[in-house]
Amino acid sequence: MKKIWLLLMVFLVTFSVLCLGIDNRGAEAAKAADSGKGAKATCQTCHADFAAVIPKGHPAVKGSDLTACTSCHAPDQTGKAAKNAFSSRMHLAHVAPKGNQDCLVCHTWTSGKSFGLKGVKGSFGAPNKEDVAMMKEIFASWGGSKFMDNLHAKGNIGCAGCHGKDLPKADDTVENNRCLTCHGPMDKLVKKTEPKDFKDRNPHKSHLGDIACTVCHKAHGASKVYCLDCHKKFDMKIQGEKAP
Amino acid sequence: MTTEEKDILAAKGLSRRSILKGAVAFGAVTASGFALNMAMPGAAEAMIKKLPKKWDETWDVVVVGSGFAGLAAASAAAGAGSTVIVLEKMPTYGGNSIINGGVYASWDDKYHYRNNLGLGVDSPKQHSDDTLKGGDYYNIPELVDVMVNGATGALNWMIDEGDAKIRPTVTRAGGHTAYRTHSAVAGVGREYTEALRKMAEKRGAKIILNSEVTWIWRQDADPKSPVLGLEVKRGRRVLNIKAKKAVVLASGGFSQDIKMRMAHNPRLVPEFNCTNQKGATGETIRFAQAVGADTLQLNFIQLYPFAEPETGILDTPAVYPFNGPGYGIVYVSKLGKRFVNELERRDVCAFAQINLGANMKPTWSIFSRPMVLKMGGSYEEIDAGVAKGRFVKADSINELAGKIGLPAAALADTINKHNKYLEEGKDPDFNKPITKVMIPLIEGPFYAVSQWPAVHHCMGGLRINRDSQVIDVFGSVIPKLYAAGEVAGGVHGSNRLGSNAMPDCVVFGRVAGTNAAKEKV
Repeated sequence: MKKIWLLLMVFLVTFSVLCLGIDNRGAEAAKAADSGKGAKATCQTCHADFAAVIPKGHPAVKGSDLTACTSCHAPDQTGKAAKNAFSSRMHLAHVAPKGNQDCLVCHTWTSGKSFGLKGVKGSFGAPNKEDVAMMKEIFASWGGSKFMDNLHAKGNIGCAGCHGKDLPKADDTVENNRCLTCHGPMDKLVKKTEPKDFKDRNPHKSHLGDIACTVCHKAHGASKVYCLDCHKKFDMKIQGEKAP
Repeated sequence: MTTEEKDILAAKGLSRRSILKGAVAFGAVTASGFALNMAMPGAAEAMIKKLPKKWDETWDVVVVGSGFAGLAAASAAAGAGSTVIVLEKMPTYGGNSIINGGVYASWDDKYHYRNNLGLGVDSPKQHSDDTLKGGDYYNIPELVDVMVNGATGALNWMIDEGDAKIRPTVTRAGGHTAYRTHSAVAGVGREYTEALRKMAEKRGAKIILNSEVTWIWRQDADPKSPVLGLEVKRGRRVLNIKAKKAVVLASGGFSQDIKMRMAHNPRLVPEFNCTNQKGATGETIRFAQAVGADTLQLNFIQLYPFAEPETGILDTPAVYPFNGPGYGIVYVSKLGKRFVNELERRDVCAFAQINLGANMKPTWSIFSRPMVLKMGGSYEEIDAGVAKGRFVKADSINELAGKIGLPAAALADTINKHNKYLEEGKDPDFNKPITKVMIPLIEGPFYAVSQWPAVHHCMGGLRINRDSQVIDVFGSVIPKLYAAGEVAGGVHGSNRLGSNAMPDCVVFGRVAGTNAAKEKV
């Protein structure tokens, strides 16, 4: 099983490299999408022959659209926190900065009603125009920002890894338990950041109580050590701060 | 709005006042669903903020702010059976309350500590007299009356129902004539915010963080026109929340709103440090004003005289200078000399330091180990503070002077003189009222903590009555709008006595929540 995943990784890396290499074709698909013809673009617009992009040893791939992949790699709709999810790798390869595809190359969407995958049953939610615009904006951040979302993207963790199975809403936040699935347990985290000199200056054991991880760790914006708002002299750093 | 529409409104002679008075000439427009709005005074656009067509959420009572007042209101309202949401703008709950010094003025407590420790007499009347005098009689007497008579009950309410714990001592703080200041076991306001949060949540209230109020919905300023709900920004989403019974504003003061504080008190320039959390800005007051609310005394803004000099925070050591005077703490300048009667009010202590000159920052509080527990401190806090360098410890006054860089002879002279004053019961230098429980600085170890004033508390705010209802600019109650805590004005007059903030917040929060729950749906 592990071997298959490894092969898939190789496949996707190759796949994305190829996508970059044949930029004009990606651009064509994007152009088709921009002009409202996204629905007409298929995988084959770029990948005339899947054999050219799949790794050695991968079973032959038939078909011209997304079902060529999803017939085996069924999309994960459970929303469980998983590293290296197929969905994440597909998105990483196809959205900026590696790719430049419109959502609707792969996805079906009826504003306010449904959002799914071509050739796959079921809907992830009912985003409207603003929701989709937001997701596009956040995907761009996830794919290429210096924020925490990109740090997760580099670990092949996509939206569902943090937000669960439903499409994130505009006022969505992420509960601590979700973060602690990978970064926990809390005791261990507290121990890890305990200062040698003054143990009560531990950002993960705040005098403000059981605060949310997201107080400091922002996925789609600059992370910031909240303590420093008042304790200006503390020497604390955080990942995902905007580059100077 | 088109230019023509603006012209039409102008031609009708609409002024801010005519709109505010109930939109007599404006009837046709309000009837089609426009909300009162003076967001941009003088601009016609200000008149056409449309009332929401639908509400995203509906609650009986909507509370703005999750500090002492907001949580007390939520506890009371939820306890009376109302559905309650608490909206907190910041990503953490508790506002300034969770980081405050945890001192609570009350003439009595569940355990009757003052009486049992032989610390003299007190009464609600005496508490009221001190509060009025300390506020230079600018206080609204009926509001002071509510606070002093509700303080003990509210303290015991948090002890009994929220498991709040107080230290077994009572201190006498600046401006108070009795030993009535209670300290929390946690040493900070978190003791009470946690108690109130647990009480509110146990009763079913819901606290939602990252939810910033961006408007108060009211159709017009007719005295019968109630507040309808709030516009709220939550993450990337803007939603409208309906309040079936009432909105309670408990959003705190505006010490961190430099523009607003300087608009009312120009000498509080940006160079002043501030003890407050970042969210202490004044937009809620402006929104309330925009729907007709009256304000009072916004220029009365207090400096905390003993903040940490570099950053301005009110950390645990910064509470000691405030709690110490009743037990003999001495304040000295860099020259090793006293500069004020330590039992003076906060404004006097703050400006006594500022008037020494900017190059005289910081000043120091000198105290000793025998005072620590009596003044509501703890040895653990002392040890932690010494390790961090906030408290400086020495076995003699001479050694202490050396460690903090003060002239040793001058400091020794000051301390010796002060010891003599305690013995003689008279302070000829600053007229401090000496009491028998004050401890001379003879037995060590001795401690010093540095201090300097920082912007701290807004005495002024929204005008309320004794039922915590917000009053409009014409003197009428604004139906279904309450305010409690620092966002409301008039309780403290020109200068709040230290440890009066918490009884103000908890008592009025309780009053507001209780009354809000009684409103008709």
